Amino acid sequence: MSTLLRASGLSKRFGPRTALAPLDLEVGAGEALAVLGPNGAGKSTLLRLLAGLARPTAGSLTIGDGAPSRTAQRRAVGLVGHATFLYPTLTARENLLLAARLHGLSSPAERADRLLAEDRLEALAERRVGALSRGQAQRVAIARALIHDPALLLLDEPWTGLDPRAAERLSERLAALHRAGRTLVVVSHDLARLAGLAARALVLVRGRAAWLEGEELASETQLVAAYATRVGVLEARA
Amino acid sequence: MNALWAVLWKDLLSEWRSRDRLVAMVVFALLVVIVLYLAAPPGTGPDAHRHVPGLLWVAWCFAGILGLNRAFAVELENEALAGLALAPVERGFLFLGKAIASFVLLLAVQAASALAFALAFDLDLWPVAGRLAGVAALGAGGLCTIGTLFSAIAVRTQYREVMLPLLLLPLLVPVLLGAVRATSGLLLEGSLPWPALQLLLVTDGVFAIVSFLTFEVVLDE
Repeated sequence: MSTLLRASGLSKRFGPRTALAPLDLEVGAGEALAVLGPNGAGKSTLLRLLAGLARPTAGSLTIGDGAPSRTAQRRAVGLVGHATFLYPTLTARENLLLAARLHGLSSPAERADRLLAEDRLEALAERRVGALSRGQAQRVAIARALIHDPALLLLDEPWTGLDPRAAERLSERLAALHRAGRTLVVVSHDLARLAGLAARALVLVRGRAAWLEGEELASETQLVAAYATRVGVLEARA
Repeated sequence: MNALWAVLWKDLLSEWRSRDRLVAMVVFALLVVIVLYLAAPPGTGPDAHRHVPGLLWVAWCFAGILGLNRAFAVELENEALAGLALAPVERGFLFLGKAIASFVLLLAVQAASALAFALAFDLDLWPVAGRLAGVAALGAGGLCTIGTLFSAIAVRTQYREVMLPLLLLPLLVPVLLGAVRATSGLLLEGSLPWPALQLLLVTDGVFAIVSFLTFEVVLDE
């Protein structure tokens, strides 16, 4: 498996507070990586750094072919946040069109329509996002993140606020994307859903990191036990 | 440039659907005309219209700030601003898209309130309409360029509704100075004073360049 994402000594400070201690991270192409940790652990900060939405205080980050600019970095990633990044007064199709144009795609309308069809969103295409349910808007948000066919898809608490049926559909969608070879980095507190998706997990506590691998992620029970142990170790060190 | 047109299209389409900014700005400008008419009714004689250019720009300036306050507030819903920041483009073009959308809305407000001013203060604007539109556009350009930059800054502060005028009004002094002098020359003497136009042109240019170049810093963190 070739390496898609490589971070070396990546860190972020906000004044005197360390949001993310120097972190070395490699994610292979086609891998699904889970990022776990209590609130305030630095998970969202890490995702914002990977997405090019924040500048690291120190360290280096390369995604894909190693292009050094943040513009190239933004081109390589798609981000699905807890918020949808969608405009409520625009329709689902118009939101996708906007994203396609912002990414400079040559045929934005074609690309938007193709994604709507692939994700079975045609029935929602002409409805304003403000009138969609949370689950429906989340499906549009994923389509938005995939509009430029990014090599890496970042997801921040994607199951939060979804009802069980919508959450299950989202899990199926993410599993399908992973099977299709998409590289995923998923931040979540939902260990049950992550156990079935990721083969490796990064645990963050107060900006410091530990890893979970192999059998530790085989089931929810094993993941919960391994996670509790790692959090205990990291808290003792902090 | 694609990003500029995309943001402009998005802002104008959103505004067309909701009309919340435009309606608020027009109603506010008309209310200012009424208040100014009651506070300083038009007199008679050669000095009857002496204060009108200044009053006109009071209405346009405050209506513009009202609109700029909402320009980035709409980006906060669903954290749409982060979605905009994810675009792999030169940030300056995102800024220009937002600034031009605000500029278009302010021009519409200026046209509506100029008519109200003409009626309330018994002005015949028709002979100078073209040149007045030019001065209004130059003033609106300065207001919307630096105003868009500071709107993006103020929207992340706790007291954003208050913060924008506090940050913006001191910087608008050269724009207002040039715009009021140019409008006075036009309405009272029938000619455009070149120094006032120069001040407007230079200020607009400086504001546009500075805002284009610094928008990345404002947008990122």
